Amino acid sequence: MSHNQPKQGFAQRLDQLTPQLLILPTVLIILFLAIYPLLLSAYLSLSRFKLISGGFELKFVGIRNFKKLFSGSQQYHFLGTMGDILFWEWLIVAFLAVGFGYWIVRYLRSAKVSVIGSVGRAITVAVLLALTLLAFSVLNGTGYPGSLMVTLFYVFTGVAIQFFIALGLALLCAQKIRGKHFFRMAFFIPIMVTPVGIAYAFRMLMDMSQGPFSPIWSAFGLAEFSWAADAWLARWVVLIGDSWQWIPFLFMVLLAAIENQPKEQVEAAQLDGAGSWRVFKDITFPAIAPVAATAVLIRLIEAFKIIDLPNILTNGGPGIATESMTLHSFIAWRTQDLGGSAAVGYSLLFVAVVVCVSFFNFIGQRTVAKGAN
Amino acid sequence: MRLLKHVPKFNLSKIAGGVAAACAVTLALGANTALAKKFDGVTVNVMTFTGPQIAEPLQRHAPEFKALTGATVNIITVPFSDLYTKLLTDFATGTNSVDAAVFAPQWVVDYADPGYLQDISAQVAADKALEESDISPFFRSFSTQYQGKTYLLTLDGDFHMIYYRTDVLKEAGLAPPKTWDEYLSVAKAVNGKDMNGDGKADYGSCISKKRNAQAYWAVMSIAGGYLQGQGTSQGAFFDTKDMKPLVNNDAFAAALNIYKETSNYAPADEINLDVGDTRGLFTAGRCALTIDWGDVGTLAIDPSSSKVIDKVGASMLPGSTKILNRETGKLEECTATSCPHAVDGVNRAPYAAFGGWSGGINAAADDKVKQAAYEYFSFVSQPAQSNKDVTIGATGFNPYRLSQFGNINGWLEAGMSKAAAENYLGAIKDSLNSPNMMLDLRIPKNQNYQQVVLDTALARFLASEIDVHQTMAAIEEGWNELNEDLGKEEQLKLYKATLGL
Amino acid sequence: MSVPKSSFWQRLTEPKDVQSMSPLKKIFTYSVLLCWSFVVLFPLYWLFITSFKLPIQVSDGPFYLPFIDFKPSLHAWEYIFIDLGRDTLRPYLNSIIIASISTVLAVFIGSMSAYALTRIEYKPKLGSIIAFIAAVALVVYLTVTVGMSWQLSLSIGAALFVIFVLSFSRYFRRSLGNNDILFWIISQRIMPPVVSVLPIYIMFQQLGLLDTHFALIVTYMAVNLPIAVWLMRDFFAKIPVDLEESAMLDGASRMRVFLTIYLPLAKPGLAATTMLILILSWNEYLLALFLSTADAQTMPLMVAAQNATRGPQWWYMSVLIVVMIIPVLIAAGFIGKLINKGQLTGAVKG
Repeated sequence: MSHNQPKQGFAQRLDQLTPQLLILPTVLIILFLAIYPLLLSAYLSLSRFKLISGGFELKFVGIRNFKKLFSGSQQYHFLGTMGDILFWEWLIVAFLAVGFGYWIVRYLRSAKVSVIGSVGRAITVAVLLALTLLAFSVLNGTGYPGSLMVTLFYVFTGVAIQFFIALGLALLCAQKIRGKHFFRMAFFIPIMVTPVGIAYAFRMLMDMSQGPFSPIWSAFGLAEFSWAADAWLARWVVLIGDSWQWIPFLFMVLLAAIENQPKEQVEAAQLDGAGSWRVFKDITFPAIAPVAATAVLIRLIEAFKIIDLPNILTNGGPGIATESMTLHSFIAWRTQDLGGSAAVGYSLLFVAVVVCVSFFNFIGQRTVAKGAN
Repeated sequence: MRLLKHVPKFNLSKIAGGVAAACAVTLALGANTALAKKFDGVTVNVMTFTGPQIAEPLQRHAPEFKALTGATVNIITVPFSDLYTKLLTDFATGTNSVDAAVFAPQWVVDYADPGYLQDISAQVAADKALEESDISPFFRSFSTQYQGKTYLLTLDGDFHMIYYRTDVLKEAGLAPPKTWDEYLSVAKAVNGKDMNGDGKADYGSCISKKRNAQAYWAVMSIAGGYLQGQGTSQGAFFDTKDMKPLVNNDAFAAALNIYKETSNYAPADEINLDVGDTRGLFTAGRCALTIDWGDVGTLAIDPSSSKVIDKVGASMLPGSTKILNRETGKLEECTATSCPHAVDGVNRAPYAAFGGWSGGINAAADDKVKQAAYEYFSFVSQPAQSNKDVTIGATGFNPYRLSQFGNINGWLEAGMSKAAAENYLGAIKDSLNSPNMMLDLRIPKNQNYQQVVLDTALARFLASEIDVHQTMAAIEEGWNELNEDLGKEEQLKLYKATLGL
Repeated sequence: MSVPKSSFWQRLTEPKDVQSMSPLKKIFTYSVLLCWSFVVLFPLYWLFITSFKLPIQVSDGPFYLPFIDFKPSLHAWEYIFIDLGRDTLRPYLNSIIIASISTVLAVFIGSMSAYALTRIEYKPKLGSIIAFIAAVALVVYLTVTVGMSWQLSLSIGAALFVIFVLSFSRYFRRSLGNNDILFWIISQRIMPPVVSVLPIYIMFQQLGLLDTHFALIVTYMAVNLPIAVWLMRDFFAKIPVDLEESAMLDGASRMRVFLTIYLPLAKPGLAATTMLILILSWNEYLLALFLSTADAQTMPLMVAAQNATRGPQWWYMSVLIVVMIIPVLIAAGFIGKLINKGQLTGAVKG
């Protein structure tokens, strides 16, 4: 043993350092390339950027950029044009406010109250109420949605549609059918296509007069119709393109989860004569809930970043109808308004964090808890 | 050596002979080429926007240039909407990945002031092959010079004009429109007729209206005749007294209304059509009228894609019988004093939109690279190449040399009929020589005024998000904001300088 | 006893035996799946045949079948690969180099940390973290506002941080745990690239590294690390602890345990993670748009640059998109051999 001593000493020291060595690269890289941009971006959003010879110059202007977005000359672009809020819409908001208030009070009275928890919940409630009000204001016909609302539309509607279609497909594909492997392979391919490419492909496909579906459109007399000239149609086309690309991801995850559910339970239930709906409700869904929640969370996170499709399919048009916040920020960059670009980016970050963290805490945790049971 | 052992003897001598011959040829070629190549090993990165216009001829001439001088020219393309910012950031941040670029001469202000562009006055003066005196004086001053120095080499000359289907108008008994009201009535009259024999209804007017593209000049083409009547130095963008934007008045409102009304006689997705698309529609025979640069004339004679060969006429931009009174903001009938250049009571202001794609060189590049870039642009601009390129529609290069206007043979060779060539060149010449020609904006950050503020407001207007008054207010507010940011007095001074005041 | 005769409807809706599906269900299932296969594959088919079409065949209306409806031509392929030869090859090679290197780095470093987070307990002091953030903020402030050179401000910030940690850290008891670290790493993914791209652009500009492969590789690696950690952690969590414990009893160091036990056992997980990150890096557009101009231009930029004024040149575009899918398909096939059916589930257990 003694001749091993020196070698062991060095190895021992290395071994002691291993925990740090293993985690440090990741932490350092992310710390630096995440904290630094976060802070600099915050500073950028509070300043005016000017390109000058040899580099650039930043002048601190306080919250001017945010003011411009929320109440100034860019308000129409970001929040949208406010319309009238109807009486019943006010009622709904009031009802929600009461509900949220009750929920917060209940939390404050509970045993596990903490400062962070209270502040977080308060912010969540405030943001959700504000967004609801804004939605009513700009979406009910008299107003016009800006990039904030359009992004939320893409995120919520898109993820919901994608989840349910993916779930349906996964359930069907999980059964005993022939060609399962083929379906799996085929359904996976859209993920591999570059989003820019998908955007162009869809533009080609949706061409009313030259695209592959034009005989169908002509039959309906729609050959000269332009979906790109109608605000909502354009948004839906972007959504369809986005769904085409991301359903495969949810499909793969859900299929794997469904195939991993406890088979004995399913067989037992089937032998007992339970219909497929009951099997799904009582066995399958609880089993895949944790996985599904995580997948939806991943999808939510990515959905906020949508830019390729609206940019290429419609250039953000007609007008500003399909502009997502990332696209808005990108367009601001193109005009050398880097302060404004950073301000939009930060607002997006804020909204995304509120939504994703809420989802994670309130739905994610609950399904994990259920699943663990 | 081991290999040779297995080669039958009689083949060996043949092989040896062949190898020797090949070596000799290569050496000879190498010697030939080695002698002439002064830019061997030099690579020039040239950035421009995605073609095929402009990019295609640049890409085509690159190997020719390489054969002559040994320089490798890389053409890097980016979408038009990104070009200005990409170049500015590349120069300003000192990245200098771009050695030279072909861009809008309006932007020379923002690139030359901070010193990013190479001053090529001396080289141009010494360049006999360029035949600079052959370039029309207007294009020389607008597209290549800034504050007395030459920074760019122009490859293209730009004027907005209207094109019309001679056969369709003749059949309907209509004359080419001289005013915008006439333009609308002609478009309305022929809209829906089948103009190319395919059984489908076609359109009275096709104007490019796409956002973030090259569409935002069209509205100024319409507004020019209403805004400017006293000649070029009156200007049509700002009031020369106080830099007030001339966008919130009856004249601009009239122009916006006409601009929107043309959509009634146009394809349903006109709002998504860029200039390339409308040109394609026009040459496929589906439009009776269009507003465009010189490309339509040359594209119309391309037998591989045009269905309207010999059926296209061109004319100077229509004008207006009313002119803006800048004091009151109202439109008034044209009189001899208010519209001294009016012809038959119609005031026309041909719009030198955009200027013409020109090449500039990054001052921070290597000397050899700069020299190679200069000679490359000169090569493309020289009459031997240029005269051919301007007759090919797909290149995006339109005539800018006096010889191109004067010598009709090149056009006839390209396939234009004599009548069509005279009509086409005549329209450009009329525009060029008009005393009431309207210059494009060339003040600092003009890209922001036009490509950002104007373009966004137009897109929202066309999408019916805002009405005429809100649109004009939005543009005025945006332009005033820019004026304030950059210093109104300074901008006024520079604006007046571009008008020669 | 006679068996009641089953009606037509009964025959349709009742399965032959408990485990299989009724005929009606089978028809429904297959038609839906085939329908969706069409939805998935048709756009790709259309892209593929468009790359063989002449401009006139695109604008004259849809032609569906090569050789039957229209005569395919190689002009687009020739243009992209021969006429534009070098201009196509450069972004293609750039994409391959950047994507593969950044993926390998991300997966390796991420796996190390994932393993660490699974098996080792960390207790980073809250005080140190706040000090770090404060130090970075100071560096940013000094460089940007005061105009100090970044080297100087970085040194000052680093020095202050070290001093603080060494002297004051014992006053801060509160510390975080593994789950907090994990959550923080995963939450990095929420940050929209559009927020971080400008600072990263500025950083690389100050370092003079804009438009280089290095910049893109480092950025992609950093951006994809969270995913690697997230996915690999779940795979590692499933590996029983006893294996490691017995190995360590035998005297193996942690590193050896990681390299010789965990990595090989988590091969399917590695494959899945590599595949996902490879796809993300290969297709990434926004960061490449900002950080590269000419030398480091990647394929997505080249595809996007086809947004020409003459309407997109659909035939050239199709060639580029098809050509972009091929390497990913090859990599997928290669890696796919390692993906097991059940292993993929472990990737996303919450």
